[in-house]
Amino acid sequence: MNSKKFSLAWLLLALAALVVVPAAQAKSTITISGSTSVAPLATLWAQKYVKTKAGKNVKFKILQGGSDVGISDVSRGRVTVGMSSRDPKPSDPGGIVFNRIAKDAICLATNPANGVSAFDQALVQNIFSGKVRSWDQVPGAKEKGTIDLFVRTPASGTQDAFDKIFMSPEKIFSGASQKASNGLVQQAIQRDKAGIGYVSLAFTKGTTVGSYKGVPCTLRNAKSGQYGGVRSFYFVTRGAASGPVKKWISWTRNNKAALKIAASEWVPFK
Amino acid sequence: MIRDRTDRRVELLLGALASTILLLIAGMVIFVFLKGLPSFTHNGLAWFGGGGNVDEQLMNIFNSPANPDDYVYELRAWPLLYATALITFSAVVISTIFAVLSAIFIVEFAPLSIRRILEPVVRLLAAVPSVIYGLIGILVVVPWVHEHLISEERKESVAYVIQLDGTSILVGILILTIMICPIMIAIIVDALRSVPANWTQGAAALGVNRWRAMWTVSVRAARPAIVAAAVLASARALGEAIMLSMVAGSVGFAPNPLDGLTFFLEPARPLASTIVDNAEGLSVVPFGQTMYAFASILLVSSAFLSFGGWAARRSLSKYTLGAR
Repeated sequence: MNSKKFSLAWLLLALAALVVVPAAQAKSTITISGSTSVAPLATLWAQKYVKTKAGKNVKFKILQGGSDVGISDVSRGRVTVGMSSRDPKPSDPGGIVFNRIAKDAICLATNPANGVSAFDQALVQNIFSGKVRSWDQVPGAKEKGTIDLFVRTPASGTQDAFDKIFMSPEKIFSGASQKASNGLVQQAIQRDKAGIGYVSLAFTKGTTVGSYKGVPCTLRNAKSGQYGGVRSFYFVTRGAASGPVKKWISWTRNNKAALKIAASEWVPFK
Repeated sequence: MIRDRTDRRVELLLGALASTILLLIAGMVIFVFLKGLPSFTHNGLAWFGGGGNVDEQLMNIFNSPANPDDYVYELRAWPLLYATALITFSAVVISTIFAVLSAIFIVEFAPLSIRRILEPVVRLLAAVPSVIYGLIGILVVVPWVHEHLISEERKESVAYVIQLDGTSILVGILILTIMICPIMIAIIVDALRSVPANWTQGAAALGVNRWRAMWTVSVRAARPAIVAAAVLASARALGEAIMLSMVAGSVGFAPNPLDGLTFFLEPARPLASTIVDNAEGLSVVPFGQTMYAFASILLVSSAFLSFGGWAARRSLSKYTLGAR
């Protein structure tokens, strides 16, 4: 068999397939960008949604970049949905709507060798503001000596939430080491016996998670509303959501399968 | 002179390409400056000074109110500028010494079998992406420094000022040196090779040993290339963001030389890392403008660097290989 002819036939077939497939079903595309904390949840949802009847004709493109990137992208019409892990701010551009889709718990994490199991608000504020700099002064700490603080960079949604929920009105110690992501904070705590930091519930593996105000940081307590350190996840739209986006957001909030996905590591909408 | 039509066309085409690139670069420089200008005009010369805590100032800028009249711009960037200069300068000085000595070894002293392995490895190392050095730094070097070099007393002595957790200018300078050394070695090896053989043979004929011939003739002749290598390495060090943000601590702090040895274990964050770490906040107008101000400082420094390198090469090449 002439191999040239053979490959030409294949090429023609492939071309035909390319032409036929998009013509068969006009798909609407939902483009998404924003928070790295929300992205894993949005990806799981999108994977499930395209298999359902309602989502058969929807295509997803998901990019990350951080809450502020998502908000700015959606306000300029670059994407249809922005993901945000922080609350609306006065400096946000006008004309955008924050749709709450789930919640997430922020846990206080220490190294397992140290194992501090209980924090109250005063203790958290004293440690993270740099007033208490030694584990000797922290009840329940097995470690002795200086505390190593790991915090997030100013522009991060997690930092914003921690400031509001745990720290206000105190300010974080200026000598604390700033990390650019949840994973880097987790890694730093795992390797440093004297370390303490705060991470999303999904990033607590390999660390000891302390209770806050007497309530352990678990998925169950976050769902029941007992745990205080909970923040919201949002899908941000330009104006009120409409068309396929509206359908999708309402699916994430109401569909059983969607709520089950959210419940795996986050607090579902209801 | 007969001019071929094709030649003429190629000349025009290449000229157009070259000037497009020049235009693009000029446009970029102007764009970055205009974007960063508000940050400079609001602070004046105090922008370059110290005072207050730079991370707190960045936080306040990030949380500016929505009204453009109320934008916060106050910034004292000294700790970041100082960190950039300190880390870049130290790494380049150390790696220049290392690179010159290794290049001499490779060119003159290494047996052929070793040279055959060493040279490709050096060129390979020069191409390793910086984030890999960053990973090794944060997973291996930083924990090691924390375990073995930082004692509890040392940590306590500065506990209320700064946190010592292994991420430090020491690790930053060390890894940056390892990162830029291969590039310098590769350039200097090429330069030493291109020194005419009869120069060193002449020296040998006068009775000096190989080391002296190398040091007094080849290295001298290659001085412009050494400067060129140092400039290239400084440019890479200046722009290094990811690796330094991972291992140098990412705290807007100016390490204090009066702290003695603790100085080397204190963290810092250069300009490029500051931009990378805060890229999330670019959509907040005054915050973005501040980042552009940092970027324009980096642009100016690299321009000065190239100019300084060019001037140094010019003055050195009077005594050496001529046009270089």
